[in-house]
Amino acid sequence: MTVSQIRWITLTVSFFVLSFGGLAALSLGNFLPTFSCFYVESRSGTCFLWVLQHLLDHGYWEAYKSLGKYLLYFSLLVIVIGRAWCGWICPLGFFQDVLDLIRRKLHLGYISFPEELRAQLSCVKWIFLFIALLIPLWVSFPFFGKSIAMDLRQPFCQLCPGKYILPFILGDTVDVAVNFKSTTTIIMSVLGLIFSGVVIFGALLKRRFWCPYCPMGLFLSFYKKISFIKLKKDCQKCTMCGICYNVCPMEIKDLLTERKNEDVTFTDCTLCLRCVEYCPEDETLRATFFGRTIYKSSSKGFFSRQHITSGFPEEKHQVVSEPYQ
Amino acid sequence: MMLAELDNNSNLPAGIYYFINIMRDAFVKNQVRRYRQLQGRDNRKIIGTYCITVPEELIYAAGAIPVRLCGGSYEASCIGDELVPRDTCPVVKASVGFTSLNPISLYQMCDAVIVSTTCDAKRKLGEELSNYTEVWMLEVPHIKDTDGSRRQWIQQLYTLKKNIEKLTGRKFIGRRIRRKALEDSIGIINRARYQARRLYEIRKSPAPVILGREAMLAINAYSYDIAFEWTRAMSELNDELEALYHKGQFVCSEYTPRILIAGSPMIFPNWKIPSLIEEMGAVIVTDETCMGNRYLYDPIGTTEKSVKDMMVGIAARYLMPCVCPSFTPNEDRLYRLLQMAEEFNIDGIIYHVLKGCVVYDFELIRVEKIMKEKNIPVLRIETDYNPEDIEQLRTRIEAFIEIINSKKRKMKEA
Ligand code: SF4
Ligand code: SF4
Ligand code: SF4
Ligand code: SF4
Ligand code: SF4
Repeated sequence: MTVSQIRWITLTVSFFVLSFGGLAALSLGNFLPTFSCFYVESRSGTCFLWVLQHLLDHGYWEAYKSLGKYLLYFSLLVIVIGRAWCGWICPLGFFQDVLDLIRRKLHLGYISFPEELRAQLSCVKWIFLFIALLIPLWVSFPFFGKSIAMDLRQPFCQLCPGKYILPFILGDTVDVAVNFKSTTTIIMSVLGLIFSGVVIFGALLKRRFWCPYCPMGLFLSFYKKISFIKLKKDCQKCTMCGICYNVCPMEIKDLLTERKNEDVTFTDCTLCLRCVEYCPEDETLRATFFGRTIYKSSSKGFFSRQHITSGFPEEKHQVVSEPYQ
Repeated sequence: MMLAELDNNSNLPAGIYYFINIMRDAFVKNQVRRYRQLQGRDNRKIIGTYCITVPEELIYAAGAIPVRLCGGSYEASCIGDELVPRDTCPVVKASVGFTSLNPISLYQMCDAVIVSTTCDAKRKLGEELSNYTEVWMLEVPHIKDTDGSRRQWIQQLYTLKKNIEKLTGRKFIGRRIRRKALEDSIGIINRARYQARRLYEIRKSPAPVILGREAMLAINAYSYDIAFEWTRAMSELNDELEALYHKGQFVCSEYTPRILIAGSPMIFPNWKIPSLIEEMGAVIVTDETCMGNRYLYDPIGTTEKSVKDMMVGIAARYLMPCVCPSFTPNEDRLYRLLQMAEEFNIDGIIYHVLKGCVVYDFELIRVEKIMKEKNIPVLRIETDYNPEDIEQLRTRIEAFIEIINSKKRKMKEA
């Protein structure tokens, strides 16, 4: 079984467990470092971003204290597997990968943004993160615009594509509508719906369309230096063939161009390990857990996964009839 | 001449004769029956290529057959002497010479040729060749890793694809290079690469089972063969060599000096340096020339079967890992050489510079510098296709190998 297949299985199982676990009274806590959306009724655990915004806007000590506790649990979960939460578990990641699979099966190509545009867009995730962190503080101490502030509870959630997409695909359309409560909620929910539309459409055209802008992903990447899982590269063995860059759904170019550091777990990396699977050089890319190699690239693996290490293409490619002598 | 020498070695692995025959047919017997047959009977087009940066997948996918035409013949280079400036490299001289006089059918039979704009001489080569045949220029970016060059290169390949489609397409049917055909052709050439890599691995063994001049010839023969057939022959050769290895039948001992050939391409029939090195008692365990290991080393990797993704994969394969010094900056080549020196346990490097090939000569200093740190001697040999300097080269190569030998002896004693 290839890593891609194992990842698909994990991703699918996680999706169903996280989305329907609640029906079986499964409760995984409300500090999950993944988009197990609060707005999915049958969820078995809750997205930490919601809890974060929720507790931040209370403005009293007890709330901050429990936030600290949840942050600790959250951190532990992230330290153990880092952004593998994104590549292997996240329901919204799963949704995007499913759309990606549909695109692939139709043999449609994907688009990729020019590097420059990607660099410019990389601030978006920071903006979302600031929205999630700063607005709740204003909500808790609303010294001006009190009514606006109160309508801005869980401000990022109101914009988050997860809030609209995840309940929607599970058949719950209650939240998938414009919230006419006030001007603020109208604006926020319209924006959120637009984002969701763009994400669905985008994910059909571009691999992991939303993830480069996701504040949760950004949050997880803060732990990359201390996380147990790491992506490593042997820079001397790398032939710069460029395959890892092409196959990477997050289009991380640094992985290819890195020539100095062994640690190549970059901010956007979701640890999907596709680059390791497709690197054709022995032990050039590796995933390590606690310093121990758990998966590594190999020339043999590369070729055997294409089923070309033995046998020959069928007769129709045999262009020459006469033997050569 | 070279072929006769090879033939006379009674220890040749049986599998190598296939490749010797390809060379003999192409250059001695001047026989291109297979190609002619394909052209006549199957109405296939034949497209000449002049550099490893030309993606053969596109050619195969259109049902055409590529042949790599970079010339290595002394006689042809003499003809070319009259047609291009004196300081041009012999590869270009021989290529122009062959094309202008049509002395061998290999050049005659091509319906079109593709020339990459890599080094100065190659750039002008395209212009000269257009006097005789249809030429498509392929603009290769010289700085590899910017986003702009990546995009431009992909664009170039799409243009090339169109040109090929125009040539091979018949009215109403088969005009486009189809997705499935592209997928198949990637598979076919990746298979060839897999076999080339097997040979590469086999040559790492402490005591070699095949001489370098033979192995290089086998890879070089890919230029004048059809990928599928070549792969079959190479897989047989590899099986044989693996068996030899397990039986312990080595061509020389593990104390034989292990040489890496770096530098300008060595193209058959210009086989004088490989022959000299091995006559003088060393063994070429690997090379980093674009007619040798670099030719078929890097595979294409794609995760999906859309034309777009395959084109991106092809574009990356033919640009990024190519460490021809016509690219700049070219640090990658130094990494590659260091890696090879380590993998193959190299004792010395013969650095081949063809007269007039400035880019390779430029990088000599850097190569010498990094190899000095590794304590690996480098011998620069500047020559062209003229056989006159053989004796002089022999003396120099002999001295170089003797130095390595005495060093090895000392190490063995110590
Ligand atoms: S809306 Fe988004 S951030 Fe909020 S709980 Fe759902 S997935 Fe998490
Ligand atoms: S970046 Fe965000 S949406 Fe993407 S997988 Fe990670 S948590 Fe999920
Ligand atoms: S760098 Fe590798 S592991 Fe990280 S996202 Fe890209 S392909 Fe996946
Ligand atoms: S796929 Fe492997 S060899 Fe190729 S560029 Fe990436 S790390 Fe280097
Ligand atoms: S030396 Fe460079 S330019 Fe010449 S054929 Fe080889 S790769 Fe192409």
